[in-house]
Amino acid sequence: MSNRTPSISVKDLTKVYEPSPTWMKLLVKSNIKSSVVALDGITFEVGPGEICAVVGPNGAGKTTTFRILLGLTTPSGGTATVGGYDAQHESVAVRRMVGWMPGQDVSLLMRLTCIENLRFHGRLQGLKGDDLTSRIHDALAKVDLSHAAEHSVFALSSGMRARLQLARALLHSPSVLILDEPTGAIDPVAAHELLGLIISIVEEERLACMISSHRLEEIEALHSHVVLLDKGRIRYDGDLDELRDLVDREQLEIEFKTDESAQQARKLIDAAGLGESFAVEGTQLTTVLSSAETTTGDVLAALEAVIPDVVHLQEVQRPLRDILADMYRESETE
Amino acid sequence: MSVETQETEVKERGRRKRRRSPNRPTPSIAVAFLRMDFIEEFSYPMSLVLSELGTVLPVLVSYFIGDLVGESAAVGGDYFTFAVLGLAVSAVLQGALSGFGGNLQRALNRGSLETLLVEPVPWTFLPFAMNLWHTMMGAFEGVIILGMGLLLGAEYLASGWWRFIVLLLLGILACTALGIVSAAILIISKRSKPFLTLYGMAASLLAGAVFSVDQLPSWLQTLSWAIPHTYVINASRAVLMEDPGTFIVPFNLAVIALLVFNVVVLTGGLWLFSRSLEYGRKMGMLSGY
Repeated sequence: MSNRTPSISVKDLTKVYEPSPTWMKLLVKSNIKSSVVALDGITFEVGPGEICAVVGPNGAGKTTTFRILLGLTTPSGGTATVGGYDAQHESVAVRRMVGWMPGQDVSLLMRLTCIENLRFHGRLQGLKGDDLTSRIHDALAKVDLSHAAEHSVFALSSGMRARLQLARALLHSPSVLILDEPTGAIDPVAAHELLGLIISIVEEERLACMISSHRLEEIEALHSHVVLLDKGRIRYDGDLDELRDLVDREQLEIEFKTDESAQQARKLIDAAGLGESFAVEGTQLTTVLSSAETTTGDVLAALEAVIPDVVHLQEVQRPLRDILADMYRESETE
Repeated sequence: MSVETQETEVKERGRRKRRRSPNRPTPSIAVAFLRMDFIEEFSYPMSLVLSELGTVLPVLVSYFIGDLVGESAAVGGDYFTFAVLGLAVSAVLQGALSGFGGNLQRALNRGSLETLLVEPVPWTFLPFAMNLWHTMMGAFEGVIILGMGLLLGAEYLASGWWRFIVLLLLGILACTALGIVSAAILIISKRSKPFLTLYGMAASLLAGAVFSVDQLPSWLQTLSWAIPHTYVINASRAVLMEDPGTFIVPFNLAVIALLVFNVVVLTGGLWLFSRSLEYGRKMGMLSGY
């Protein structure tokens, strides 16, 4: 985490959604029958030039956190500040500092051109005249949309719409970027390009950036500060690589000459208590080392009897989704 | 200091400067909304033309009813002029009444409301900015109706035009205030149409757009005095017709009543709108359907 003054600071933030009062049920029906704790005292900070990935399953509290930072929802307790401004009480000042990219492209005005969309947003941000015009062209160039400047949004591909949303978020030179599942509606190639763009802009402009995504391989590619949310609580807050070191165990793939050797190896590793989650497919054995301290050498030592039959051995880094799934499973059983 | 660091500091200074500048509603913001609505509306030309045609057809209907009614004293002996004025004023007021609620409902349905609320524009300015286009279109329709009436033989007093414009402006403000109340309801209930439809039907009955309020039973006439349409429509007739019929609302009375209505309902409407937005924030339901 950055040791500079944080651009985003969230302290003991709590949000409880209450059921609607009886009088309101006459106006609109609500599905909330009892209080729902969306955030339960979360605390974290994001500094300038830092990307913070917010990860968690549905209902973890990601969107609620973003909505509080944007002033669209008020917290039930704790504080959220952006650039020193209180998100609850000084939301107009906060909204001026934040560039927001919602996950859905419906927030764009479909009949308007890219330029018109940005002009509309720029005017609401208080920009005008030549300054606005030059910012629009800069923003479109930054996201590589200059060639489509006069195209109506409805004629753009999903990837181009996402880039236009990013241009809109950047137009007023915000110091904070909040990106809510920015790659949710676009294909993996376009998503990869968009994330690369976001990383370079954040570095260049020294922006504090919060990003959420369901695509964990994207979060992994960001190599960023990560906040893992689960049921409104923070399960982990820190560097993603440190998280791996902390909870990850290597996965071994060993190929043998015969099926029998693979089966025998499984028994040997299991008996030595060095592995778990075994999978044997023909001559190939896959296992996860039982602890972070266990090494490949320990396994090889236990396999002494079948070592001559080993054809190939490979250490595999477990996908982030498996690590997180383990963490969330642990939290279920707690 | 490296060039990169210097550039970053310059950018940061620029950001700070803008942050310090006051966040005021400006004509530029109003123009932004106006332009957006203009482009959206003209994207569907056939729909625009047909809906405008729909507003002028009642003028023809009134023309033939005028022939049927003859020289009734209740309408000052000239039903056609009487009705055209009622229709024109109603069209103007309808634009102001439904513009904001309609735009807000569309934004809610499309999912773009939150994008709008995240902009650093004071939320209490939105009702006015988002109402501009529909108010202008309503005024345009009013002018078309009056012009068409003139072509078909309606007679207006030239001396009454400036007072007519004052009445219209006060009426537009009153209907904007009612639109804000409906928007406050929309934020919570997610639907504003029932309120506007009910009010629109009540106004068409009680204000006497195409008939004299005298024709209503006395208890309904009492209710007529509670809605701004009655004052604007009937005072407009008083200033633009030589003989406005038997139900007369003097210009001065209309101005005072509309001023009082505007102060009360506009202040109350803005307060209610702010409260409903705050309640929506608290309940986390600003973007709900």
